[in-house]
Amino acid sequence: MGNTSFIIQQLINALFLGSIYALIALGYTMVYGIIELINFAHGELFTAGAFIGIIVLSALQKFGFVETHFVLTLFLVFGTAMAYVGVLGVAIEHVAYKPLRNASRLAAILSALGMSIFLSNGMMLSQGVSDRAYPAIFGLKGLTIIGARVTYGQVFIIVLSLVLMVALNMFVKWTKLGKAMRATAQNLNMARMLGIDINRTIRVTFVIGPALGAAAGVMVGMYYGSVRFDMGFIYMIKAFAAAILGGIGSIPGAVLGGMIIGGVEVLWSAFLPSEWKDVTTFIVLILVLYLKPSGILGEHVSETRV
Amino acid sequence: MKRIGIVALCLLLMTGFSSMAMAKTLKIGTLSPLTGPYAQDGTDILQGVKTAVAVVEKAGGIPGFDKIEVIPGDSACDGGKATMAANKLINSGVNGVVGAYCSSATIPSSVPLNEANIIQITPASTHTDVTARGFKQIFRMCPRDDVQAWSTVKFLEDGLKVKTLALIDDRQTYTVGLTENITKFAKENNKIKIVALEHITPGDKDFTAVLTKLKKVNPDAIYMGVYQPEGSLMVRQAKALGIKAKLITEDAVYHPKFIEVGGKAAEGTFLTFAKAPDTPERKNFEKTYMKMWNAKNVGSYGYYAYDAAMVFMEAVKKAGTTDTAKVADTIRNNTWNGVSGKIQFDEKGDRKLAHVIWIVKGGKFVPYWDPMTEKYF
Repeated sequence: MGNTSFIIQQLINALFLGSIYALIALGYTMVYGIIELINFAHGELFTAGAFIGIIVLSALQKFGFVETHFVLTLFLVFGTAMAYVGVLGVAIEHVAYKPLRNASRLAAILSALGMSIFLSNGMMLSQGVSDRAYPAIFGLKGLTIIGARVTYGQVFIIVLSLVLMVALNMFVKWTKLGKAMRATAQNLNMARMLGIDINRTIRVTFVIGPALGAAAGVMVGMYYGSVRFDMGFIYMIKAFAAAILGGIGSIPGAVLGGMIIGGVEVLWSAFLPSEWKDVTTFIVLILVLYLKPSGILGEHVSETRV
Repeated sequence: MKRIGIVALCLLLMTGFSSMAMAKTLKIGTLSPLTGPYAQDGTDILQGVKTAVAVVEKAGGIPGFDKIEVIPGDSACDGGKATMAANKLINSGVNGVVGAYCSSATIPSSVPLNEANIIQITPASTHTDVTARGFKQIFRMCPRDDVQAWSTVKFLEDGLKVKTLALIDDRQTYTVGLTENITKFAKENNKIKIVALEHITPGDKDFTAVLTKLKKVNPDAIYMGVYQPEGSLMVRQAKALGIKAKLITEDAVYHPKFIEVGGKAAEGTFLTFAKAPDTPERKNFEKTYMKMWNAKNVGSYGYYAYDAAMVFMEAVKKAGTTDTAKVADTIRNNTWNGVSGKIQFDEKGDRKLAHVIWIVKGGKFVPYWDPMTEKYF
């Protein structure tokens, strides 16, 4: 393996990991943008997506559907997982966050933590404590670019996450609902006074954010080949760091943050002692916050919003 | 009539209480990770112990005891939590403890158990320090790290005849013990060059950066000092990256789950694990276990946990007491027939048992090479 192919391989590894972090980070950043709440249950929603994916995929595989209708299978698996977790997201918002919308910020954060523990243990009880094997549908086949190997599964995952990110950006920029979301994010009370249905906007946010997390969950399950009830934790920490690094509340910021965290993690392990990987990731986060407290693309946070 | 009824009730209650006071219960505590990433092995261990108790009770129990109770403790593969769980077991008055699983949990938890003078038999912890601290009441069912490292190096040198080796560990007590011992033996024999030592974080899912690094170094073999969840992911990612090096790993990865999750990528992986003779007792145990827990197979440490609980109960029976020193002597001075083979302990409490090399073939663990005889199976 030459130097060029080594670097290209590591960049592919970084891009792959970064797009998954970015996709999860979007859920944090969107919810924070709208109601200024860190949704700690997001990591569990990501895991729930992975579990719905494995349930649907196993069922389809039993009927031999995967071989005959491969594209439709992918559509069904991602669609079901995203829809289910989207509904779950709205339900969580309704039960755990809506009643506390006017309470102190701390109460809502505690409620989010409680929801996270509740969901995690619920999944442990219903899905078991051990790893569950994801049906291998992509296999190990792939292509070689200048000595670097990418499997078709990786290509599919990178492309799908990019498509989802672009679609989200277009939705927020160009649709009426997206406009309402941006208005609510800027000033909730002002948006309400101008006749925007705040509750509906928040609900939409709680469908899209968790649905993106669910998509990431299915991707992780499909690519790595296993899911476990507590796998959301490590992704939650990284994606949370990514959202803050990019500037929490900013959608391009979350994508950028995810790519940076993934990049630092992979490139550090590639050239320097790998055991310092996580230390470095968080040093980068601290440094950025020290130099620019609102994150790389974050807007200036005014006194009134804090 | 009413008065007689009350008197009868009083009598009943009295006899009830007195029989409760007379009833002697043998309490066996367990320490194993029931939560967290290694909960599968932890559950296997708890179920193994419970199976042993059920078998003994069905056969008439232990003379002098009316009941045998299992008190589970969650060691969570964490020194602090394991020590807390051990203290809880001590407070509930256990006579013996089976556990823990991770060496990093067993070593700290053995300190209060040693102070309280309670027999501890670990079914799974292989780090040398477990039995190297002069504790008189600790025993180990599985072979030690240095024995395992020796078998690994021997196989790499004489079985596979590799020249270069890369090591990966996850910086936990158990895995670091292995990579250190392998490095030591390899240096002593001077036949294999260690070309890389990489570390991963337990709980991570993506090891491609480290594996790509090793692909560039291009060693003849890669040693994976990890636990099963990471092991399954690692073989998949190694194959996806097109790594051709021989993959070899250890007893913590030796679990049916490794093959289930690893799938085709697990094929051809070498592992070190002790080989038990296929006795009727072993078959019977498997049957009882699978029926009792509605399981498809017995987890690798289910066997050792069953044997640990069995040896403890048999020793209490033979010694006729729960006195720790006497039970410990009985365990040490006798040979026991277990489902994991003949059980004999040395002075330190280590079992006289060696590893063989296994290979994953056709979705199964198949014995491959014996380091003692240097012969293929």
